[in-house]
Amino acid sequence: MRSIRLEGITKSFHGETVVENINLTIPNGKFFALLGPSGSGKTTLLRLIAGFEQPDKGRIFLGNRDITHVPINERRVNTVFQNYALFPHMNVFDNVAYGLKIRKVTRELIDEKVARILKAVHLEKHIYKQINQLSGGQQQRVALARAIINEPDVLLLDEPLAALDLKLREHMLIELIELQSSLQTTFVYVTHDQFEALTVADTMAIMNADGDIEQTGTPKEIYEFPVSSFVANFVGSTNIFQGTILEIDEQYKIELPHLGVFEITIPAGKEWVQPGVNLFMSLRPEKIEISKTVQHGFSNMLRGNVAAIVYHGRSTQYDVRLSNGMQIRVFEQNEEHFPQEVIDYDDQVYLYWQKENVVLLDR
Amino acid sequence: MDNVKKLVTQELSFALAIPAFLWQLIFLCVPLSIIIYFSVAPGAFLSLSSYVALIHFSYVRVIARSLLLATATALITLMLSYPIVYYIVRHLSYIRKHLLVLLMLPFLTNFLVLAYSWFFLLERDGLINSFLMRFSFINEPLSLIYNNGAVLIVMCYCYLPFMIMPLYVSLEKLDVRLLEASADLGANAWQTFVRVTLPLSFPGIKTGLLLVFVPAFGEFAIPTLLGGSKFLVVGSLISYYFFVARNNSLGAAFTIVAGIVLFLFLIALQKGVTCFTSVMKKRE
Repeated sequence: MRSIRLEGITKSFHGETVVENINLTIPNGKFFALLGPSGSGKTTLLRLIAGFEQPDKGRIFLGNRDITHVPINERRVNTVFQNYALFPHMNVFDNVAYGLKIRKVTRELIDEKVARILKAVHLEKHIYKQINQLSGGQQQRVALARAIINEPDVLLLDEPLAALDLKLREHMLIELIELQSSLQTTFVYVTHDQFEALTVADTMAIMNADGDIEQTGTPKEIYEFPVSSFVANFVGSTNIFQGTILEIDEQYKIELPHLGVFEITIPAGKEWVQPGVNLFMSLRPEKIEISKTVQHGFSNMLRGNVAAIVYHGRSTQYDVRLSNGMQIRVFEQNEEHFPQEVIDYDDQVYLYWQKENVVLLDR
Repeated sequence: MDNVKKLVTQELSFALAIPAFLWQLIFLCVPLSIIIYFSVAPGAFLSLSSYVALIHFSYVRVIARSLLLATATALITLMLSYPIVYYIVRHLSYIRKHLLVLLMLPFLTNFLVLAYSWFFLLERDGLINSFLMRFSFINEPLSLIYNNGAVLIVMCYCYLPFMIMPLYVSLEKLDVRLLEASADLGANAWQTFVRVTLPLSFPGIKTGLLLVFVPAFGEFAIPTLLGGSKFLVVGSLISYYFFVARNNSLGAAFTIVAGIVLFLFLIALQKGVTCFTSVMKKRE
């Protein structure tokens, strides 16, 4: 069993509580991402799992074994550090072979394993190079190879791609996913980048700035059904409205101040949504249609003026100012070279959305 | 245009190097030339008779004693400083600057004053003996001075900062994350020390050994003061020839021979260390 369970973990530094009463289960053999803003304590959780820090309270289990007080070097957990932490006085071979040498593996087996793992990370040509002769991406691969050669139960990755450029990062993400599915090791990937987390994760957890875990779930669950406006805002971008539930003709609707009354659907599990309740409504920019003309077949409509247009290539972002002064963000796919309808600054536009595409949030 | 620019930068860098050149010329080349001249001109004519006079076992013994003293001083200061500096940097890092100042504070005092204060501590009627006698721990004064131990203790004391500084510099810039990485990969504290900390602080160790060894080889105040007249080292013999015996030629010849021995010794040491590390590497 290679699952990890954190039970009531509390950790503070110099009297300042970083994480408090964290309960978290990281499933066996999955790619797990821990996503949160800087300072949310996600790296602290990782360091607790690795053993670099001891929790003030709570326990950590690897499978069924309590590893809370097991020393770092006796945990079957390896880490890929943010700055790689490669040994500068050793070449690529010695760095990768480090863990095996410590465990007194025979020379022949070390040679064989290092060769195999360096081939897997496409570094077989650089085996005797010094660390400072490698590019950032290559150093990243050495760090990865050095960790996985020990066949850990759990591989911890602390913002491993933060120092790489965008193209290389996308490439490495794919390689990481392939590596994980071939090794079937539990990967715990800490990042503040929602794109990386959504890309790699089978399951993910979102931490807020106070060090609490807001939500765990698959990337799709988290993106489509966030449980709080923090999650909705942090993962992707969204428009948050504040409103009150009304009951009209036995139908629940939402009243947004100065904007009107809009249709909603209430999914199972949201029984707390009752008439008179004040709540938040999240509406993703890509779930809104924008047009200068009146359209039919949508449950909801709003009118506004275009305040800003940002061209992203595959999509265009429109910021639309509503009658109450609020700005709404809309993404539209650029499906054609020459769109039939050209929307410009200050144009009056209609925004449409289906009632199923909003998420009602209590905080 | 580019050529002109290149020429100008060349001229400029040469001009900037002039003070250093002059310094070397006045304080190294000129004195060295004078010493060499003295050594080959014992009388009115040039002759190598001073060098011939040096072919005697007693000179070998003096040089060997200096080498031994310098080696012992360098190794002992290393053994003393490394744990202290390591502990300060790793475990007391929040006050490490203050502690370093405290360590260095005694050495703001003049070197000779330091040596003299040890003399007053250790001598027959010195502080230690009179204290012990006063409280009747002993009946007769201990002979703490004029022996090898006294010289070595004071040498180590006085040369300690030359070891501490380079060690501090190299251990302080040691990245803690490398130690974490080592532990993460399964190494215990001792394995991490041998495989990561020690190799990465090796430049500091080397610099420290050199900084202690070279001046300790030529040291003459401490052996003279605390070792007595029998304790002859290279430094005290040179000063004897120049200031007491007034035999400038023999003194100069001895200086040059001692310098060459020191130079060869260091080269041999360097070669030995390189060999040792490559053998260790192969053995793995």
